[in-house]
Amino acid sequence: MKPSPPHRALRFLRWFCREDYIEEIEGDLTEVFEKQYEQSQAKARRKFTWSVIRYFRPGFIKSFNTSYSTNTIAMFRHNFLLTFRNFKRYKGSFFINLIGLSTGLACALLIYLWVNDEVHMDKFLKNDERLYQVKQNIPTADGPLTTDGTPGLLARTLIDEMPEIEYASSAITSSWFDAQNGVISIGDTHFKAKAQMVEEDYFNIFSWNIIHRGKDRLLPDKYAVLISDELATRLFQRTENIIGKTITWKHEDFEGEFHITGVFEKPPANSSTQFDLLFNYEFMLEKDADNLEHWGNSGPCTYLLVKAGTNIEALNDKIRDFRKTKYKALVGTKYLEHIGTLFLQRYSDQYLYDHYENGVQSGGRIMYVKLFSIIAVFLLIIGAINFMNLSTARASRRMSEIGIKKTVGASRKALMFQFLGESMLMTLLSSMVAILIVALLLPEFNAITGKQIELSFSKEVISSILAITLITGLFSGSYPALFLSRLRPISTLKGKMDFSTGEPWIRKGLVVFQFVISLILIVSVLVVYQQIEFIQTKNLGYNKDNIMSFVREGQQDTGAEAFMNELKNIPGVVQASTFGHDLVGDYGGTGAVVWEGKKPDQRINFGNLEMDYDLIEMLEIEMVAGRSFSKELGSNRTQIIFNEAAIAAMGLEDPIGKTIKLWGQEREIIGVAKNFHFESFYEKVKPCFIQCYPDLQNILVKIKAGMEKETLTRIEDFYQKHNKELPFDYRFLDEDYQALYAAEQRVSALSKYFAGIAILVSCLGLFGLVAFTAERRLKEIGIRKVLGSSELGIIKLLSGDFTRMVLVAIAIALPLSYLVTREWLKNFAYRIDLAWWFFISAGIMVLLIAWVTVGIQTIKVARISPTECLKDE
Amino acid sequence: MIEHSLGEFEELVLLMVAAHHDEAYGVLILENLEEKLGKKINISAIHVALKRMENKGFVKSRFGGITNERGGRRKKFYAITALGKRVLDNQYALRTSIYQQIPKISFS
Repeated sequence: MKPSPPHRALRFLRWFCREDYIEEIEGDLTEVFEKQYEQSQAKARRKFTWSVIRYFRPGFIKSFNTSYSTNTIAMFRHNFLLTFRNFKRYKGSFFINLIGLSTGLACALLIYLWVNDEVHMDKFLKNDERLYQVKQNIPTADGPLTTDGTPGLLARTLIDEMPEIEYASSAITSSWFDAQNGVISIGDTHFKAKAQMVEEDYFNIFSWNIIHRGKDRLLPDKYAVLISDELATRLFQRTENIIGKTITWKHEDFEGEFHITGVFEKPPANSSTQFDLLFNYEFMLEKDADNLEHWGNSGPCTYLLVKAGTNIEALNDKIRDFRKTKYKALVGTKYLEHIGTLFLQRYSDQYLYDHYENGVQSGGRIMYVKLFSIIAVFLLIIGAINFMNLSTARASRRMSEIGIKKTVGASRKALMFQFLGESMLMTLLSSMVAILIVALLLPEFNAITGKQIELSFSKEVISSILAITLITGLFSGSYPALFLSRLRPISTLKGKMDFSTGEPWIRKGLVVFQFVISLILIVSVLVVYQQIEFIQTKNLGYNKDNIMSFVREGQQDTGAEAFMNELKNIPGVVQASTFGHDLVGDYGGTGAVVWEGKKPDQRINFGNLEMDYDLIEMLEIEMVAGRSFSKELGSNRTQIIFNEAAIAAMGLEDPIGKTIKLWGQEREIIGVAKNFHFESFYEKVKPCFIQCYPDLQNILVKIKAGMEKETLTRIEDFYQKHNKELPFDYRFLDEDYQALYAAEQRVSALSKYFAGIAILVSCLGLFGLVAFTAERRLKEIGIRKVLGSSELGIIKLLSGDFTRMVLVAIAIALPLSYLVTREWLKNFAYRIDLAWWFFISAGIMVLLIAWVTVGIQTIKVARISPTECLKDE
Repeated sequence: MIEHSLGEFEELVLLMVAAHHDEAYGVLILENLEEKLGKKINISAIHVALKRMENKGFVKSRFGGITNERGGRRKKFYAITALGKRVLDNQYALRTSIYQQIPKISFS
């Protein structure tokens, strides 16, 4: 055997040396080597390697760029051309793929944009990392209740006692002002605006952009106010030179003349808090000192900026019992058990993680973010599966191509590259279509989700779109690439499909998977829809129809009573009354009720609803026992009405006529109201009592059915007569009620679309598969027909396979969807039962849709004349 | 532009190519030169010279047949071209004419 030259040196030479030189050089080198080898092996080897290295010089090195890439470019162009020819030739499957992938991608993109928007809520703040809000867990009979409200002195005490905290500020947010906007006026101009009350340090915590400010501090005195640039423009038509101007503010809780000390940029849309005015917290602290300066009460929010590097866990431990300690020092141990514990939550987290159960963070908006992300992925998978199925199914058409390529010397890698390239091109095209679809649908999508998302092509968005496209392309191309490149050239050229037994199974499995997902989505839509319907039509314990409400505000020159009487006399008005709260979650609360037989350690939180005369009748709240308030029968100040839940909780028997103590004052129970819902269906009806006060802040008017429009105009005219300067803002009770379930309605609306798309895309895939199978079995069908098979027989033959697949999908999907929907319904205290027909109807629906899809194709094929398909061979 | 200059080592290689007309290939040239000069030369130097001269048009080349020798690689045979011969002649004439101008001095 001949000695062989050093392997590595030779490989190196072959790698760098010009192709037209290599043979000569390698030959000469080998010859020299062989001759020298006889004398000294080691020397020969050394010499050989050294010589090779000496060739590594310009003139002998091949030019890598041109020679290498011409081949790649050529292959690329070749693949590109083939792909386009394939698209052109098989337009059907091309369009099925295009529609499937682009709808999948469009949904994924829309969901991505939405998720992106949700996740970035509040994240723009400069100190985001260190910005925390103090929350409180207040012990109640049903376990701890988590609130934003904290004692009014917490912020200033914390900053004094905790060195970890850089800045702290109390803030009374706009939601605290009973959700009613105040009115701001300058001369004869009036606007409604949202206010917050903050401390000086607030501006060090939140990085709101202050556009203009005086020389002084931002909040130098009680009457200082900062306004937003938007409000400034509305009030003064400019933002400059308004420092020092005076505005008048009127609100139920506080009013007065304030001077402007600064102008800030209105918080952007991705801020969870929105406000137009910032007042000085000191104002309220002085006005409401009893409440705010006492450690027994909670109200304002507390925001903190912790120092960099602070261990939040440790700080959490430190402040947990902070309020308790202060309370104990101030009051002693009385009612200490009702004082809450404190903890920190990152400010920007509370938008997504806003739901607490028993004092523990549990879900919130993040649930929907996750849910929709999963749906997006599934929709993409469905689209990708279509591509996989169609391209592997059509493999037979390309068998000769693959066979010849392999014979000529194409490696498996090259073929995989070709098929992956094909799927990439497909997804790239689809993503362009998808972007178009997104651009078209975005306004509609924004309307459903209540967002202001724009399709901006920032670096982040573009890279995400590219990433989604790339992954989808790789995924949808992976199976065809693996499968098609594995075919053996001999059998493919013979025209035989060498399916190993696994292949059709995978394809069937994919179809089943598609239908499972579609089915789960359809069932979910049905259930969500039913639940929302249930909520909206359920007997709430009161009648919300045709009742409008507006806020008592501005100057009512005639006085409250005359105003109400006049209102009642407007034609079309059935009844009018006033209410201190609303029926969608706003109510007072207290535990300070003492009744006969109350155990010393027993504490029940009662909802406190303040109603005017006639309101119970107007809302048609049923009285189980006793009577409702009446002007004729005794002083309302000493009377009270409980709901059934309250009576049951207190364990009173024969309650009518008994007296209880509320806030230390004796009240006579005059009636028991049937339970009615005064907050959302997520909550059970809680114990509550109704007190009677005349002339409360919300005016409710019941309008005669069928006369809404003209009556509304009359009420508006009447309102304007008394409040010349104020815009007439009113709401209908059922609108409020709808708003309570805005999130569910969004989910239901969106999932309806997504379920529709899922089933559409799945059926597209099925359609493509059926068309393909029918085509391949055309000859068989021809022969069967010649031998006397009926059309029906052929339809059965062709659709049997697919029916089985869909049936398997149904069998898998229904139990799964049962679990999913049951889990969702658990969120509601009042919910529908999962009826069998939800599942059966969803199953039948899917089966029918699949049959229609398959049927269109099979009937066409079954009708074909045998001569047509048998004439050529 | 292809210059007609000829380096010293190139001249030696060219001479060797001319001497073994149409039978000269890398290793043969190498061995003969080594023998004549009495020193070791790296084969790469020969190739560099050959390729340069081929570019200048002094030599032309052809592949030989496949044999079992040399790892199955073909030999590349070089032959001098007319231009190469003329350059060689010029060089020779130039040197001879200058040589003859040397006065007859005794160096003893």
